[in-house]
Amino acid sequence: VIFSSRRRLGLGSSPPTCRSKCGRCSPCKPVHVAIHPGMATPLEYYPEAWRCQCKNKLYMP
Amino acid sequence: MSIKASLRNVANVLLDWDDLHNQDFCSWRGVFCDNSSFSVLSLNLSNLNLGGEISPAIGDLRNLLSVELSDNLLNGDIPFSISKLKQLEFLNLKNNQLTGPIPSTLTQIPNLKTLNLSNLNLGGEISPAIGDLRNLLSVELSDNLLNGDIPFSISKLKQLEFLNLKNNQLTGPIPSTLTQIPNLKTLDLARNQLMGDIPRLLYWNEVLQYLGLRGNALTGTLSPDMCQLTGLWYFDVRGNNLIGTIPDSIGNCTSFEILDISYNQITGEIPFNIGFLQVATLSLQGNRLTGRIPEVIGLMQALAVLDLSENQLVGPIPPILGNLSYTGKLYLHGNKLTGPIPPELGNMSKLSYLQLNDNKLIGQIPAELGKLEQLFELNLANNELEGPIPSNISSCTALNQFNVHGNRLNGSIPLGFRNLESLTYLNLSGNCLDGPVPAEFVNLRSIQIIDMSFNNLSGSIPPEIGQLQNIVSLILNNNNLCGEIPEQLTNCFSLATLNVSYNNLSGIVPPMRNFSRFSADSFIGNPLLCGNWLGSICGPYMPK
Repeated sequence: VIFSSRRRLGLGSSPPTCRSKCGRCSPCKPVHVAIHPGMATPLEYYPEAWRCQCKNKLYMP
Repeated sequence: MSIKASLRNVANVLLDWDDLHNQDFCSWRGVFCDNSSFSVLSLNLSNLNLGGEISPAIGDLRNLLSVELSDNLLNGDIPFSISKLKQLEFLNLKNNQLTGPIPSTLTQIPNLKTLNLSNLNLGGEISPAIGDLRNLLSVELSDNLLNGDIPFSISKLKQLEFLNLKNNQLTGPIPSTLTQIPNLKTLDLARNQLMGDIPRLLYWNEVLQYLGLRGNALTGTLSPDMCQLTGLWYFDVRGNNLIGTIPDSIGNCTSFEILDISYNQITGEIPFNIGFLQVATLSLQGNRLTGRIPEVIGLMQALAVLDLSENQLVGPIPPILGNLSYTGKLYLHGNKLTGPIPPELGNMSKLSYLQLNDNKLIGQIPAELGKLEQLFELNLANNELEGPIPSNISSCTALNQFNVHGNRLNGSIPLGFRNLESLTYLNLSGNCLDGPVPAEFVNLRSIQIIDMSFNNLSGSIPPEIGQLQNIVSLILNNNNLCGEIPEQLTNCFSLATLNVSYNNLSGIVPPMRNFSRFSADSFIGNPLLCGNWLGSICGPYMPK
């Protein structure tokens, strides 16, 4: 069973480890990804979330 | 063929749709037939630059399961005859220029599972009859001109998993009955004109993953039981009229990846329990939050974006924020923060945006900020900072914008600034800087705006500035600059704004090229400067 570091309870947080999150692809590394909430004006930045990236593909942490 | 007749721009892409091959329509581009009956099951003509209208003849293809005409240039109304497609499960017309209402007959297609009419020019209301399409899994009507209320009957869509109505003109409340849709995973109602409270029932839903409500006129408070949405990762109520405090129970929202409650009227302090969140984005800006920045935020290493700007926060910037070594954007501007800038912020090695402007910060700019190799924008304007600009800042070679306007900085401009080749915006105005304008600025190849007004700069304007080919604004007024205006400045073809007023410049204003754009206001207050304006020691020139 793989425990995600994201779900540990307690104060504070850390980025996902991305261990075994990209299937057979490696290396699998955590990256910031902008989540596009529709038409944002130029003054707004997109909210960001963590995803696991291997080559050009993104995977859920 | 009548479908083709109503389309335009078909010459090339629908070449094989011709009368000669009329019996062989199953081989036509985008047409897919049943193997035995040869009836048309699917029509896929997306992204082919097709213009014209959708022919009412489409209703004659009674066995169609799937129609995909997305990403074209289709106009006109969606034909009413589409309701004759009783087998249709999949209808995707997104990204066209279709107008008119959503056809009322659409609700007579009992098997419809996916309906995507986003980014068209559809007007009118969403018919309450939409509740009759009991098999719908996904409804996307975003980016249209739809108005009226969201019909309560939408809650009859018990299979619905995806509902996207953002970017319309919908009014009225969010139907409280929405929570009766048991499997709804995504609800995006952003950028409408919805009013009233966020229905509390919504929070009972355990399958909801995405809640987008930004840019409406919602009122009421954040419900303490919002964290009962245990599957929710995206919570966005930015830009509404929510009041009240951030509930203490916020720490239970451990599934949230994005928490955006910015630009509401939230009051009270940031609760300590926020430290239990696992969020990557914490956006609380543009509210009325008071009290101090909780130290516990420094433990939230998963933060990619921390925005607490434009509130009424007081006290110091906790040095422990320097622990946020994965954070790319830190915005604390527009508060009432006091004390010094913690040198520990130099440990935030992933930082690209640091905005601490418009506070009451004191002390010196820590040299440690020079460790921020990825820093793109540094804004420390309108504080009470003093001392010199540390030359270490020149190690921030990714720096694009640097603003220290309106402080009490002194000393001379560090020569190291010549290393900042990516810099486009440099604002040192409104300080007590002295010494010369460095000739080394010639290395700032990308620079567009230089503002060094209202300082004590002396010496002459270096002719090398004339080599800056991207410069749009050069603002040097209210200093002690002397000597002549270098003629080389007339080589800056992009220069649109020049202000060298109120210095001690002398000689003649170059009467050529880009300088013909500049009015006397650019030059006044230099008693020894000769130019073409009233009151100048040699002007104005008299027309001959």
